[in-house]
Amino acid sequence: MINHISELFGRQINSLELSPTIKQNAMVTFRPAIIITKGKIRCARCHAKLKPVEARLPYHHYYCYVCIQMGRMDTRHSLATFPEPNKFPVIESPMSWRGQLTDLQQQCANQIVKIFEKRQRHLLWAVTGAGKTEMLFPAISWAVSQGLRIGIASPRVDVCIELFPRIQSAFKKVSSILLHGKTKQHYQYSQITICTTHQLLRFYHAFDVMVIDEVDVFPFSGNDMLHYAVQNAIKPGGGILYLTATPDDVLMHKIKRKEISVSYLPIRYHGHLLPTVKIVKNQHLKRLVDQGRLPKSILQMINRLVKQKQRFLLFVPRIRDLTLVSSALEKANINCTYLTVYSADPQRLEKVTAMRSQAVDFLITTTILERGVTFPGIDVMVLKADDEVFSASALVQIAGRVGRNSARPTGQVILYCETKSKTIKSCDRQIKEMNRRAREIK
Amino acid sequence: MTCLLCQTVLSSELTLPKIFSFQRLNNSKVCRKCFNRFVKLSDMKTCRYCGRRIFGNLNDPCQDCIKWQHYFKKPFANRALFEYNDAMRAYMKQYKFLGDYRLRNVFNRLIVSELKAMRCPVVVIPVNESTLQERGFNQVLGLCEGIQPVNCLRTRQGKKESRQSEKNRLQRLNVNQPFELIDHESELIREKTIVVVDDVYTTGTTIRHAAGLLYRAGARCVKGFTLAR
Repeated sequence: MINHISELFGRQINSLELSPTIKQNAMVTFRPAIIITKGKIRCARCHAKLKPVEARLPYHHYYCYVCIQMGRMDTRHSLATFPEPNKFPVIESPMSWRGQLTDLQQQCANQIVKIFEKRQRHLLWAVTGAGKTEMLFPAISWAVSQGLRIGIASPRVDVCIELFPRIQSAFKKVSSILLHGKTKQHYQYSQITICTTHQLLRFYHAFDVMVIDEVDVFPFSGNDMLHYAVQNAIKPGGGILYLTATPDDVLMHKIKRKEISVSYLPIRYHGHLLPTVKIVKNQHLKRLVDQGRLPKSILQMINRLVKQKQRFLLFVPRIRDLTLVSSALEKANINCTYLTVYSADPQRLEKVTAMRSQAVDFLITTTILERGVTFPGIDVMVLKADDEVFSASALVQIAGRVGRNSARPTGQVILYCETKSKTIKSCDRQIKEMNRRAREIK
Repeated sequence: MTCLLCQTVLSSELTLPKIFSFQRLNNSKVCRKCFNRFVKLSDMKTCRYCGRRIFGNLNDPCQDCIKWQHYFKKPFANRALFEYNDAMRAYMKQYKFLGDYRLRNVFNRLIVSELKAMRCPVVVIPVNESTLQERGFNQVLGLCEGIQPVNCLRTRQGKKESRQSEKNRLQRLNVNQPFELIDHESELIREKTIVVVDDVYTTGTTIRHAAGLLYRAGARCVKGFTLAR
């Protein structure tokens, strides 16, 4: 229930959720939740085109089945909005972060301030481990001092949860809120909103500037609803900064057509190059794994790493490969400790902690650990890297787990495959291209 | 087409072997994996009066139904299609409480064919007016779409204080008759065997309230039929 008018600033909420006094506020506008024109049905909240047969309710009503997880909108409902008033206290020097940026980071940070000033749409293509969050701070600080409303969104809830305390402690004087599907926290009007891209469906022309982190990732990539949500959440003519280490085809297309500007940060915060991938081909890899066996070369490699106490991640394409590889290791009698991890694993967090605290030698994992996690000083191996599960950007992200730490800025990335697939080649090319750019500016 | 429950893409490729298998085309709305999470009660040992699954050497009828025999003297037996397990709970949440009306299609065809096979007038448990307003549909009517039910029951009070699912067992048993007969329609059930349909049989109170009224209107025999137990 919405009881205070500020909870409606720059949002679009089902009118049923408003308290009676707010409903009567003259500034609140209403628009129908489902739009029917010439027999075509569209959801006003998520902009999905709806099939009449599927969207049908009894008594000639229709509902949106696309954004239903955010609460059902149907033809009997309307969306209520209060135009964003930017009602924030004036804060002179909002940033409480006192850290130091490297020269290259500072250059990037200055550029982001300019982008925010001019309200541009820009992609910052920064390598894995470049220190993207810190580079945002000067721009956020500027925006707050101007009384702007700032949105930071990511498709991944883990990314949001990790980001929030960092932003909060860097801007202690500024109101901020974290929104995602699993929080029970009551919504509060805040100058900085950190949320999943799904939550943006509840906003309407709210943000002056926005940051979208990890744009190339599921579920955002290729999802019309979420793309629309971003455009709708931002004020007309507002600025957007996209962040990624691995832009997808859609973004590349936009760069080519000059719809968005792009800048590169090809070097990591510690100034070292990205580790390049080593590709090892084995003709019978797939058959062997399906039989619960592994090629000798891989077993030897695992043995060597375990003996050297070099910790690593072993990526596999599918959940069922986890047990197959485990049985292969058992048969080979390698003396090692490891755990297997997948997305729906109820003990996922505990297992990641076990790896971090060095309780196990290595983890065998699906792509779930491809981004957002840092284990200092690890190596990485990818089994069946030519499997369709591994996109080029997934492989770049996986390779990006290595050498993030200034104490060991290098490391091995080995891709085991039957054939050198397009995705592997593309991954190899992307990493080399970034390193070439890095050498230029070094 | 995607699975209504997990959104994975359903393969609808028409291959030669499929054509020559002479089997009915599988045009189901959910994927096999999701559907297998529902437990069918038809091939299990169930209680003869409420249709619940009976484990091991527990008694048939179950304790609950023995108790019911003291309160409800008319003959009544319920048949349920599926066990009310986690998958069914999640389904009901999405269908009823989130209001995803498409989900009626997960069970619609099965329910319609079962009801048709019973060859008797169908009475659907009505939903009270405020819930109908909020939800926009009667979930049981949705599940039986394609059957013409006898519309002889309606809810009594305009507004219920709380939803059935929010009450505990004892509170539910103490609820007074929530339904009433629509007189001119009740002619259609006199001296007939009737089947009352509901989505979930939990304590059996609701469906017996309805059955009691139908007996009073002159039904010869009333059977229960629910999606889940």
